[in-house]
Amino acid sequence: MATMDATGRAIDAVWKLESAKIIAALTRLVRDVGLAEELAQDALVAALEQWPAEGVPANPGAWLMTTAKRRAVDRIRRDKRLEERQEDLARSLDQADEVPDDVLRLMFVSCHPVLPPEQRAALTLRLLGGLTAAEVARAFLVTEPVMTQRLADAKRTLAEAGVGFELPAGPELAARLASVLEVVYLIFNEGYSATSGDDLMRADLALEALRLGRVLAELAPDHAEVHGLVALMEIQQSRAGARTGPGGEPVPLHEQNRGRWDPLLIRRGFAAMLRARALGQPPGPYVLQAAIAVSHAQAPSAAETDWVQIAALYGLLVRLLPSPVVRLNRALAVGMAHGADAGLALTDDLTTDPTLRNYHPLSVVRGDLLVRLGRHTEASAEFERAAALTRNSAEREFLLARAGEAPAPAAASLGPSADAFLARGDLSAATVRSYAQTLRRLCVDLGRGTLIGTLSARRVAQLFGVAWGDAAAKTWNRHVAAARSFASWTGVSFADGLERRDEVRVSARAIADLDAVLALDAAPRERAFWRVLAESGASATTALSLDVGELDGDGARGLRWSPATTALLRALTGSRTAGPVFLTDRRPGPGRMPGPADLCPHTGRARLSYERAEYLFKTATGGRYTLHLLSRAGR
Amino acid sequence: MRFLMTTVAPVRRDEALFIEMGKFVEELTASGVLLSTGGMELGGVTLVSKGGEITVTDGPFTEAKELAGGYAIVEVRSRDEAVELSRRFFGIIGDGDGRIQELYQP
Repeated sequence: MATMDATGRAIDAVWKLESAKIIAALTRLVRDVGLAEELAQDALVAALEQWPAEGVPANPGAWLMTTAKRRAVDRIRRDKRLEERQEDLARSLDQADEVPDDVLRLMFVSCHPVLPPEQRAALTLRLLGGLTAAEVARAFLVTEPVMTQRLADAKRTLAEAGVGFELPAGPELAARLASVLEVVYLIFNEGYSATSGDDLMRADLALEALRLGRVLAELAPDHAEVHGLVALMEIQQSRAGARTGPGGEPVPLHEQNRGRWDPLLIRRGFAAMLRARALGQPPGPYVLQAAIAVSHAQAPSAAETDWVQIAALYGLLVRLLPSPVVRLNRALAVGMAHGADAGLALTDDLTTDPTLRNYHPLSVVRGDLLVRLGRHTEASAEFERAAALTRNSAEREFLLARAGEAPAPAAASLGPSADAFLARGDLSAATVRSYAQTLRRLCVDLGRGTLIGTLSARRVAQLFGVAWGDAAAKTWNRHVAAARSFASWTGVSFADGLERRDEVRVSARAIADLDAVLALDAAPRERAFWRVLAESGASATTALSLDVGELDGDGARGLRWSPATTALLRALTGSRTAGPVFLTDRRPGPGRMPGPADLCPHTGRARLSYERAEYLFKTATGGRYTLHLLSRAGR
Repeated sequence: MRFLMTTVAPVRRDEALFIEMGKFVEELTASGVLLSTGGMELGGVTLVSKGGEITVTDGPFTEAKELAGGYAIVEVRSRDEAVELSRRFFGIIGDGDGRIQELYQP
């Protein structure tokens, strides 16, 4: 029925526009985002039931808000757990809505540092963006059940950690705001890195982040970094239409058609930058990155770019944010401002950084700089390396073409020699497979065209350190053996700098202060659980899977522990006769109901999860130990 | 998705309406939805290019005199959201005609 569809779509649109405000206002009432979201969903369900018959109300947002609040009040009056909220309730309801502040508070909650970054991003899109779990799942390339679980975990962690709804103050405010900015920029980059083959939902993330940033700029207008982030995103997004070519290949900034930059967003970016500057605060990382983006946007053509200014801005940025990627961009800018050799010198350090071993832009930048210095053979090797590392096929072709622009290398180059070495016929298939892995890496990193005679032992040792420096000794030795064998076959001593490693297993950390750990002031459940692991040596998964009915004297399922632990377990299980021994603190919500085997028939609570148990143990021990180490102490 | 929303509505000189519209625009700006907005001339000129020749004519004009035009460029997630925003807009100004057209990347 057409009218049903139209109403359904109208409800969805209203929901997406209003849900953040509604969830925020409800969170202020019930102090629990999970519950607030549930109540808001109830209001949405009521709308889906009533609007198709009665028509969309004149003010649909207000209708949803009123309905949701009424449900919240009912819930608070019914629920004993929320008893202490009842006296506040009258006051809260009488207060004029602090909608803007509530939304800001909700952002602080959903970006709380107690959550891992991917949970923060997902929860923010769900609560502040009004996206469904399915939409968030599509955006982050995971299945819907995985995303539903991720959202449930996040809400549970927030509830269990007792994260408050008050605005943080003083130095905590700065730290919490930094976390919000990080989440918004993470969402933006997730969308910005989407390619043409991706689900459109992914590219939309950039717009979603931009919208969140603009909202944040109105809510927290006194923080220059907020406006800096908005300016950065507006200007980056202004280039969205120009940054890929017709074949899907990325177009570098200086080759982009500036006519396709979106002037509306550029102007908004400039305006945000002015707001940031007007606050007169020392520039933070986002303001500096925005200033660089502004500088590019101001140049009428690529040739007129003010590289001296940009290099200076990178010089400031690298002090605040010394990441390899920022250092590489700085090298590029310095190369443009002060000469290719100055830029190349700055990239030398980066070639030994393991975090950049698969980062192909490093080779592209080095290749460009080498071309400008007339060092074509080396440039060609860099472009080949970049081509081998990129995942974008259009870009690969482009890079290979660039590699071919340099003069052809002489006969004894690395690639063909490696092929000949592997094809000589006296090696077993397994050896060929193993050696090929090593040689492929040498060819990728050094370039197939590099002359064997020019390989230095120092360079190869360096490459090994970057590629496999953190691998297990056994893996390292396998690669060393391959390189030595290949070197002796070629007659060039480029593998002489490689040392074999001792393969004796280094024993992992142990819990030295076990008694102190077990005596920590923790909840009864944790204390009992930890003792079970430490005394029986059971893995955490096994211990968590225990049911009350299995407990038998001082043990269960063949595991043994002390009478003291049995006493703790008895106190914990009380009069329960069935269901999991270790339970969560809260009853699961309707959307995240576990199977009957993981549910306590007496209390309706679910089995404690491994993730949660691990989190609690790590937190209690200040991040020093894991449950795995605790189990090992018991063996 | 970006949309151009244009409206034609009878002119109303009403203080309360001005205030309410101001609040509406402020709210849409704060929620990151509204990129640009303003008044718009009705009529204007119409151009036709045919065989290398360009004809410029005034108008078209509407019969009623007391009409005003307006436009807004919004960034939303769906056409339905744009429709929803228009619904609110007309809730404030009353009678009028509106048009919503998607804008594409430059």
